[in-house]
Amino acid sequence: MKHASSRWAIAIVSIVALVWIVPIFGILVTSLRPAGEAALGWWTTAQFTLTLDAWRSVWNQYPLIEAFWVTLKLAGLATIATMLLTPAAAYAFHFLRFPLRRVILIIIVNAFVLPQQVVIIPLFQLWRDWGLIDNILAVLIPYVGLSFAWSIVVVKNFLEDFPRELIEAARIDGCGPLGVFGYVVLPNTIAPICAVGILQFLWCWNSLLLPLLYLRSQIPLPVVFARIAGTYDANWNLRAAAAILTAIVPLMIFILFQRQFAGGAMSRSGSKE
Amino acid sequence: MNEYEQGQAPRAHATRRASQANGSVQRDENGTVYGKARKRTWFGYEVPAAYLLIAPVLILFGFAVAFPLLDTIRLSFFDIKGLGAPRYVAFGNYVKLFHDENFRQALSTTLWWTVSTTVLSVGIGWFLAVVCSLAPRATLLPRVLIFSAYGISEAVTGYIWLGIFRPDSGGLLNAGLKAIGLSSYTHAWLGDQSTALAAIVIAYSWAQVGLPLMLCFAATQAIPSSIIEAAYIDGARGTSIIRHIVMPLSFNGVRVATFINLLGSLRAFDTIFVMTNGGPVRSTETLGFFMYRESMTQFKLGYGAAATLVLLIAVLIVSIPAIIKRTAEAT
Repeated sequence: MKHASSRWAIAIVSIVALVWIVPIFGILVTSLRPAGEAALGWWTTAQFTLTLDAWRSVWNQYPLIEAFWVTLKLAGLATIATMLLTPAAAYAFHFLRFPLRRVILIIIVNAFVLPQQVVIIPLFQLWRDWGLIDNILAVLIPYVGLSFAWSIVVVKNFLEDFPRELIEAARIDGCGPLGVFGYVVLPNTIAPICAVGILQFLWCWNSLLLPLLYLRSQIPLPVVFARIAGTYDANWNLRAAAAILTAIVPLMIFILFQRQFAGGAMSRSGSKE
Repeated sequence: MNEYEQGQAPRAHATRRASQANGSVQRDENGTVYGKARKRTWFGYEVPAAYLLIAPVLILFGFAVAFPLLDTIRLSFFDIKGLGAPRYVAFGNYVKLFHDENFRQALSTTLWWTVSTTVLSVGIGWFLAVVCSLAPRATLLPRVLIFSAYGISEAVTGYIWLGIFRPDSGGLLNAGLKAIGLSSYTHAWLGDQSTALAAIVIAYSWAQVGLPLMLCFAATQAIPSSIIEAAYIDGARGTSIIRHIVMPLSFNGVRVATFINLLGSLRAFDTIFVMTNGGPVRSTETLGFFMYRESMTQFKLGYGAAATLVLLIAVLIVSIPAIIKRTAEAT
């Protein structure tokens, strides 16, 4: 009985998974065939040639290397800023008492529902007035500012289980509030800080809307790719190679760290059970 | 740990003893009275230290969230065309919105889009999670594969599905229809107003199935095996175990996933931008895309801000339970 049902389960899931495997495999094959064959469909076998042509010329056709560095710079800086600033704030909100603490906390943790669209018009005007359009700060500030709505929750949830005796002991030994943070809390909060960093890196890497609007000369991969992808020209093989290049880094990180990702997405939505 | 075992200078000892002598009410250097129940206080260092630690967060959050939110509300009452001087029009933008044929279409598109992407992605994810729970080990690889589509940039997802919905014979869907003898059904899927939205819904849901699958699967794995064994002893078999135990007990995962995907669908932009850019004839514009079009390509900033607020109201309505929960937990 049990065996039969698990065999059925494997069969059903495998068949459904084809819906995911076939398109992804198709992109890979498309990038390995000459433009003429790729345009007819990657599955056609009337004439079947495998070639690395697309992979050789895609670098010259599109500004991918430059975009790769821009993406790495944007996602990297935003991730570092979030990883540095989040634990300090989470510690303050959790262990320190100060006026307006609860009000500020409630505002920050509820901001997770805000769509990015709310940000774009006011910041567009502000950056235009300040001459920050096409400056990486124009996207870094909203990347980091928007991240706090979920990152502080992730770290603060972790601190719920942090032994208060440890803090009390450090305090009796003469540690001030900043010392407790630096010597006691921070060294023991590395795990959630890394989880926050992974999530922030992925979201910044894949983000399209903000850089599309605020950056002109140095644009990240998803924006470059979105401009290539929408055109109906015949070089499906080149675009497939560009698609793989755009997706490969987040995909690798994502597969390596899936557990943290699912957990973080839950806290991001505020429904951690 | 080590840091505290090595010990710091016992600076606080004297002050602490002195304060204990004062009795249950403690005062800091400024004379502020703290409640009786308070055990810890750093005597005046605590408040400045706290503000020092949260200051960068407050500044960035102010720039990226608080200011834009308030300014969007303000701008929605002004008529702004490009760089011209804003003109106060009170509710003029909102009145214009609801007389705008395109906006009303965007509203109904948003409704269809949000409901269908959420139902599709959560429904398929839940179904797969329940099936996977029958063979948790053996289905690891397909699970990881489906979940990994969630990590692909939406722009790339859009491109992958452009290749499938291509109008010519190089499109996988049209080629497949031809191969099984349904040539008459081949179609310019993205060029036709009646099928373009459905095509993007499928592409977007494809990418979003991963999260519900993961959350619901985790929920099924959290069901204690003793419950399933007890049901088995009582004579429950296969489908009835699934229907009466696995499905209801994994519902928590469904609830969380539904909410996350609802929020995601409401703010969706990337896939639509890549696949149809809102077309044909603006038939695939959701609210999140409509505001982009009006404000960032037509430069009607006040009008776009009013549309954004309508989107925000929709978002707030679906998030009421989550907001209540988060507010209650924020202690």
